[in-house]
Amino acid sequence: MRRILTVDDSSSVRQMVGFTLRKAGYEVGEAVDGKDALAKIGQEKFDMIITDLNMPNMDGIQLIAAVRKQAGCSFVPILMLTTESQAEKKDAGRKAGATGWIVKPFNADQLISVVQKLVK
Amino acid sequence: MSLETKTKIVHALEKAKGELQTLSQTTTRQIESVARTFEGLAGHTDTILNLAAAMVGCVENESVSSILPQVQTLGGATRRFIGDRLQATTGILETVTTEVELLRQLSRITRGQEAIAFETKALSVLTNIEVARLGAVGAGFQYLAHELADFSKSVTADAMELAGHTDGRRAAIEETKQVLAAELPRLQEELARIELDLGNALSAVEFSLSQLSGTPMQFRTCVENVAQQIAGVVAAVQAHDITRQQIEHVQEAFALISAKMSGDENAEKEGTEEMGRAYAGLTIQIYQLRTIKETVANWASQIRMCMGGILKVSATDVAGIGPAVLDQERGLSSQLAHIERLESESQAYSERIQRTFGGIANLMQLVSEHLQKSKSVRDHLLLLTFNSIIEASHLGVQAAAILAIAQSIKGVSAEWGQITDQSGRAMQEVLSLAKHNNELMGAFSDVSNERLREAQAQTRAGLSNLRTAAALAAGQAQEMKAATDKLQAETTEVGNTVDLLDACFGQIDAMLTEIEGVRRQLEMDHSDVKERYDPAEVEQLFSAFYTTEMERDVLRAALRGTELPVAQQTFVGNSVELF
Repeated sequence: MRRILTVDDSSSVRQMVGFTLRKAGYEVGEAVDGKDALAKIGQEKFDMIITDLNMPNMDGIQLIAAVRKQAGCSFVPILMLTTESQAEKKDAGRKAGATGWIVKPFNADQLISVVQKLVK
Repeated sequence: MSLETKTKIVHALEKAKGELQTLSQTTTRQIESVARTFEGLAGHTDTILNLAAAMVGCVENESVSSILPQVQTLGGATRRFIGDRLQATTGILETVTTEVELLRQLSRITRGQEAIAFETKALSVLTNIEVARLGAVGAGFQYLAHELADFSKSVTADAMELAGHTDGRRAAIEETKQVLAAELPRLQEELARIELDLGNALSAVEFSLSQLSGTPMQFRTCVENVAQQIAGVVAAVQAHDITRQQIEHVQEAFALISAKMSGDENAEKEGTEEMGRAYAGLTIQIYQLRTIKETVANWASQIRMCMGGILKVSATDVAGIGPAVLDQERGLSSQLAHIERLESESQAYSERIQRTFGGIANLMQLVSEHLQKSKSVRDHLLLLTFNSIIEASHLGVQAAAILAIAQSIKGVSAEWGQITDQSGRAMQEVLSLAKHNNELMGAFSDVSNERLREAQAQTRAGLSNLRTAAALAAGQAQEMKAATDKLQAETTEVGNTVDLLDACFGQIDAMLTEIEGVRRQLEMDHSDVKERYDPAEVEQLFSAFYTTEMERDVLRAALRGTELPVAQQTFVGNSVELF
C-alpha cells in the first residue's frame, strides 16, 4: 500500500487529509511540523508528502528544501497545502522543489486524482 | 493622549489578545472533536451505503425484473385456463342435455324390446299348443317353439340389463349436468375475479418494478449526494484552520499596535503619526474580526447542513428497498396460491366429468353388444320364419295355425329389426356426442394444464428470487437501522459541538465592542486621527501578517472604508495546481 505523509500543525487538517486519502486506499502518516516530518522521513519511506506552508519549528518551504537534499527523496512528489495563494510564495515553493500547490480547503476528489497520478 | 488612557488602551488590546488565544485553543479542540466524530460518522455512512449497495445489487442480480413478464405469462395462462374451461363446460352442458334425451330414447327402445320378448313368448306357447294338437305331424315345429322361448328369455334378460345400465347412466349424467350447470356461473365469476385480481397484481408489480428499477439510479444519486455532503464537511473543517490563522494574525496585529502605542512619548510628531497608524490598525482588526465571525457562521452552518444532508440521504431512500420488495413478494405469493387452488379445484372437477364420460363409453359398449346380438337374433328369427312357412305349407290346411304363427314371427322380426335400427341410430348419436365431449374435454387435459403449471413454476421461481432479495433486504435493513442510529447519535454530537463553537465565537462580539470603544476613545482624544496616517504605509505594515486573499481584501476594504467583502463558502474546496 502506498504511503503518504501529511504535515500540518493543525490536527483537524491532518485528520481531513488522512480521512480523504485513507478512504481512497492509501496509508497515511502524520507530522505536526517540518522538523517532525523530517524525522519521520528519515525513519520511514513515504511515496508522497503533503505539507502546510506556515508551521512552527520548520515551515513547508524549509521542509521541501531539506527533503530534496536527502538521498532517494529527489523525486518524491510534494504538494503544498496552504492558505497562502500569493504568486511569490508559490514561486518560492516551486523553486524549493514543490510538485504542486493547493489553497486550503482542498477538493477531495481532485486531491485523490492528483495523488493517484503522482503516486504510481 | 494621557498616559492613563494609553495604558487603558494597551491593557484592552492585551486582554483581547489573550481572549483570542484562549478562543483559538478552545475552538481548535472543539473542531478536532468534530473531525474525530465526523470520521466515525463517515464510517457509518460507508456501512449504510455498502448495505444499500448490497440490496441494490441483490435486486439486480436476482433478476427481479424478470418477474413482470413471468407474472404476465402466468396471467395469460390462467386466463386461458379458465376461459377454455368455461367454453368447454358450456359445450359439454349442451351435449349432455342431448345425451340425456338420447339415453331416455334408448330406455324406451329397450322397453319396446321387452314387449317383443313378451309377444315372442306368447307365440312360443301357441306353437307348443299347435305341436300338441298336430301330434307326430307337428313334431318338427317343436324346435320353433323352443327357439322362440329361448329368444324371449334372452331378450328379456338383455333388455333388463341394458335398461338398468341406461337408467343408471342417465341419472349419473343428470347429476353431472347439474354440477356443470352450477359450475358455469361460478367459473364465470372466477374468471372475472381473476381478470380483476391479476390486473391489479400486474399493475402493482409493474409499479413496484418500475420503482425497483429506479433504485440503482436513486442509489447512485444518493451516493453522490453523500459524497458531496462529506466533501462539504471536509472543506468546512479545513476552513476552521483558516479561521485559526486569521485569529493568530489579529493577535499579532494587536501586539504590534500595543507596542506602537507603548512607544516614546516625547517624540510628539512621531507619536501622533503612530496614533494614526494604531487607529488604522484597529479599524483593520475590527474588519478582520467581523469577517472571522461571518466566516465561522458560514462553515458552522455548512457543517450542520452537510451533516443533516448525510443523515437524510443515508436514512430514507435506500432503507425503503427492503419493505418494498417484501410487500411485492407477499402480494404475488398470495395471487399464486389462489391460482394454484383454482387449478387444483379444476382438476377435481375435470376428473368427475371424465368419470361420467368413461361410464358412457361402457354403456355404449354394452349397447353395441346388444345391437350385434339383436341383429343375429333378427336373422335367426327370419330363418325360423321361412323354415316354418315352408314346413307349414307342406302340411297344408292342418298347419294353418302354424302358418299364422310363422307370419306373426315375421312381423315380430320386422318390428325387432326396426327397434334395433332405432337403437343403433341413438347409439351412433350418443357416440358422436361422446366424441365431441372428448374433444371438449381437451380443455381439461394435462397438456392444457401443463401451460398453466409451467407459468406457475416460472413465477414461483421468480418469486423465490424476489423472496431471497427481500429476506436479504430485510436482514440488512436491521443492520442499516443500527448504523443509522449511530449516525444519528454522532450527528447530534457534532451538532452539539458546533453549538459550542458558535457560543465561543460569540465572544468576538464582546471583543468587538471593546475594541470599538478603544477606537472611539482615540477619535475623542485625537479628532483628526483618521487623517493622521498614510494608507499605503499602513497596508504595507499590516499586510505582512496576512496569508489569505480574504485577509488582504478585508485590509483594503478597511483602509478605504468600504463594505466588508463577502466571505465565500466553499463546499467542494480548491483544485490542485501542478508545477
